[in-house]
Amino acid sequence: MPSKELPERSDIVIIGGGIIGTTLAHELARRGEEVTVIEKRFIGSGSTFRCGTGIRQQFNDEANVRVMKRSVELWKEYSERYGFSFEQTGYLFLLYDEGEVEEFKRNIEIQNRFGVPTRLITPEEAKEIVPLLDTSEVIAASWNPTDGKADPFHATVSFAINAEKYGAKFVEYTEVKGFLREKGEIKGLKTSRGIIKTGIVVNATNAWAKLINAMAGIKTRIPIEPYKHQAVITQPIRKGAVKPMVISMRYGHAYLTQTAHGGIVGGVGYELGPTYDLNPTYEFMREVSYYFTKIIPALRELLILRTWAGYYAKTPDSNAAIGKIEELSDYYIAAGFSGHGFMMAPAVAEMVADLITKGRTDLPAEWYDPYRFERGELRGRALQMG
Amino acid sequence: MRPLDLTEKGMKKVTIYFEGQPLEAYEGEKLPVALLANGVYWLTSSTEGRKRGAFTFGPLPVVLNGVKNVNGRTVRVRDGMRIERQSYGDFQETVEIDTGKPVERMVADVVVIGGGPAGIGAVLEVQEHLTVALIEEKGWLGGDLWLKGLPQEGFEKAPREAVREMVSKFNENVTVFKETVALGVFDKGEYFLVPVAKGDELIELMAKRVVLATGAVDGISLFENNDIPGVFRRDYALEVMNVWGVAPGRRVAVVGSRPEEVTPELERWGIEYVIVPDPKRAEGREKVERLVDMKGNTYEVDAVITSEGRIPDINPITQAGGKLTFRRGYYTPVLDSEHRIRDGIYVAGSAVSVKPHYANYLEGRLVGAYILREFGFDSTPCIYEDKLKDYEPIPFVHRRIPFESFNLEDVQICGCDVSLKKVDDVVRKGITDLQVIKRLTHLAMGFCQGRFCLFNGAVVVSQITGSDMARIDLPGARPPLKNVKMKVPARRDVHAE
Repeated sequence: MPSKELPERSDIVIIGGGIIGTTLAHELARRGEEVTVIEKRFIGSGSTFRCGTGIRQQFNDEANVRVMKRSVELWKEYSERYGFSFEQTGYLFLLYDEGEVEEFKRNIEIQNRFGVPTRLITPEEAKEIVPLLDTSEVIAASWNPTDGKADPFHATVSFAINAEKYGAKFVEYTEVKGFLREKGEIKGLKTSRGIIKTGIVVNATNAWAKLINAMAGIKTRIPIEPYKHQAVITQPIRKGAVKPMVISMRYGHAYLTQTAHGGIVGGVGYELGPTYDLNPTYEFMREVSYYFTKIIPALRELLILRTWAGYYAKTPDSNAAIGKIEELSDYYIAAGFSGHGFMMAPAVAEMVADLITKGRTDLPAEWYDPYRFERGELRGRALQMG
Repeated sequence: MRPLDLTEKGMKKVTIYFEGQPLEAYEGEKLPVALLANGVYWLTSSTEGRKRGAFTFGPLPVVLNGVKNVNGRTVRVRDGMRIERQSYGDFQETVEIDTGKPVERMVADVVVIGGGPAGIGAVLEVQEHLTVALIEEKGWLGGDLWLKGLPQEGFEKAPREAVREMVSKFNENVTVFKETVALGVFDKGEYFLVPVAKGDELIELMAKRVVLATGAVDGISLFENNDIPGVFRRDYALEVMNVWGVAPGRRVAVVGSRPEEVTPELERWGIEYVIVPDPKRAEGREKVERLVDMKGNTYEVDAVITSEGRIPDINPITQAGGKLTFRRGYYTPVLDSEHRIRDGIYVAGSAVSVKPHYANYLEGRLVGAYILREFGFDSTPCIYEDKLKDYEPIPFVHRRIPFESFNLEDVQICGCDVSLKKVDDVVRKGITDLQVIKRLTHLAMGFCQGRFCLFNGAVVVSQITGSDMARIDLPGARPPLKNVKMKVPARRDVHAE
């Protein structure tokens, strides 16, 4: 996508051209709003670029289950309409002891209540889904065939191209440097390529959200910190070898699946930070190899081609901060997705677009209330992998 | 003698079976060389079904005694060995699980990565006062010099004799690891951690200083079917002739901007050759049978040797935290006045600039002298500095890619089924950031980790957009520096959760 000149003004400006900013621009433009995305590098270049492909509805609370159910409906709709790949190959959580089974039974009950068809299956059934699995220690698995995966970069580019068709503007290689404010109102943004006038700003910068909040002069405490998470990819193998996303909380909070290109991709719960450093570490290579080969022994003989790192923009309860910040009109935040923002993006876009255009939404936005940290009302931790 | 043997072999004669056919081989020979000697070139098929050999870019997975996905380049033949072709995506579904040996650890003052003339020079300089671990990927020391048959400037003797003589001077402070790959250089504050894989073993080297004597890689020639069996990169052609005594073919074509780096060696062995300055297309059913040039001339040959000159392997540099600059036609590390990319990490040899072997050796000595001085020993780096001034680095000249004359789909830019067409399509859409091109085409995301394709990717961007090569931002390398089987780093004491 060619980068556009900075417009003189725009009704709405979204800071950040990752999957969140891009799907939001798409949703707003589709509704006829005038919207501009300002991205300091290229569309999809941040955590979206480094993300692990997974899209799941298997969460452990009502809000996240409902949001993800809606999100999967939108993933299905838009992947078909725009022709990018979204495969509903399922998510398979391997369970190894009664404690885990009890916990997942409770999760499944919540998921079922809101229409997500997860069920508890036997190790034999799990092995039918992924024959390469070592199920010798597995006693059950949580399986939802409607979860899936998509290529985060391709999906983002696809949303961006179509957002442009609805009139959204994307300005790449442009960095926001400050806010023009007047009596508690936004008048515009200062950028590395000049000033853009606007009244409505959305902070969709995830790992960099704190910085943008500081520029905006926001006093509300919204704790979002960048943590280094890493991923690995192996040599490509025959397609269909590992169709679903396979999760093992027992073995290092590991997640792994096969990409469209054929490599086995994934990570473990090895977290470093808070930091903006993105150099992959040797310790990760060891952790991920150890755990992956426990889950699928055949990986022992596959070559590791590369490891890399990206950010989880984490909040204290692993839930995002989504909503309007009242102390500065009109300032919105949609950041702090804590490792599962890619999958949520289409529904979050709908939620934030509702808030901007209608002032309310049917989706459970209150769960992600940005003021909850200050009020000391942390949510139950969202189920997080990697 | 086998059809392509150049010499009588003294090794034990054995029989191997390729696709069921018995073939004569010598124990300890490298598998692709044994097959080549028998006239077998086509060894594997890419994901998209392109036939491939062993002697240019791309991986070489084979079925060895019924086990799939074995790297054919590392196999040494044994009597009765059975080898079959496979395609890239085939893998072994049931594997043996052995917990193996625990991870070994070793402390040295200096780790030298790369056993070519620069690495050897660095070792010789420091060994009297410091302990050294020398890591070499190949089965021999001497690097590119070892591949040469003809005497090289600065060394008075035959290359291999010169290498043997230098290596014979290694003392008890030196530990040499051959057939060992370094997975990366990791800064641990007090020391650098250099994990290495020797076969299936994992060894963690801890050192106060690191020397990257990691060498240069051959440029890849772009012409149609530049990946088919029978195409030899310069280094592989020299290796089969000079190390193994096997001819690349009976009549060969030499292409690329530096044919003179190959032709004297062909003459030495009496191999008939033709220089084709402007190759358009290699053709043949299972291997090269002919080469067609831009004017439509056809050359009946059974191999093509590409010699484009060499460029520093930038992967170890960027993984270790070094920055790059563009000089003399290639990307090269930014060094301080003592040849460091950063505190504690030195670079020497053709990893810095392309120059004669002897100059690389001197640069290794120079870096060793800097290290000695840092450790408080007497040393005289200025002697080597002065001597090095006699050698002007060789510029790399990349030729314009004649896009209009090629069927772009048949020109492979990367071993993993990335055609020049795929890259050209994306760049012409206005995408010029190599990070994005990587993601959209898979360029530099395969087995070679960009070593052989990223430079040509930059050339494509530069040529189509008119932007200066110096201003193109190359993606940095990520660990592991070389492919490693997952079981190697997985081998460990069980970690507490």
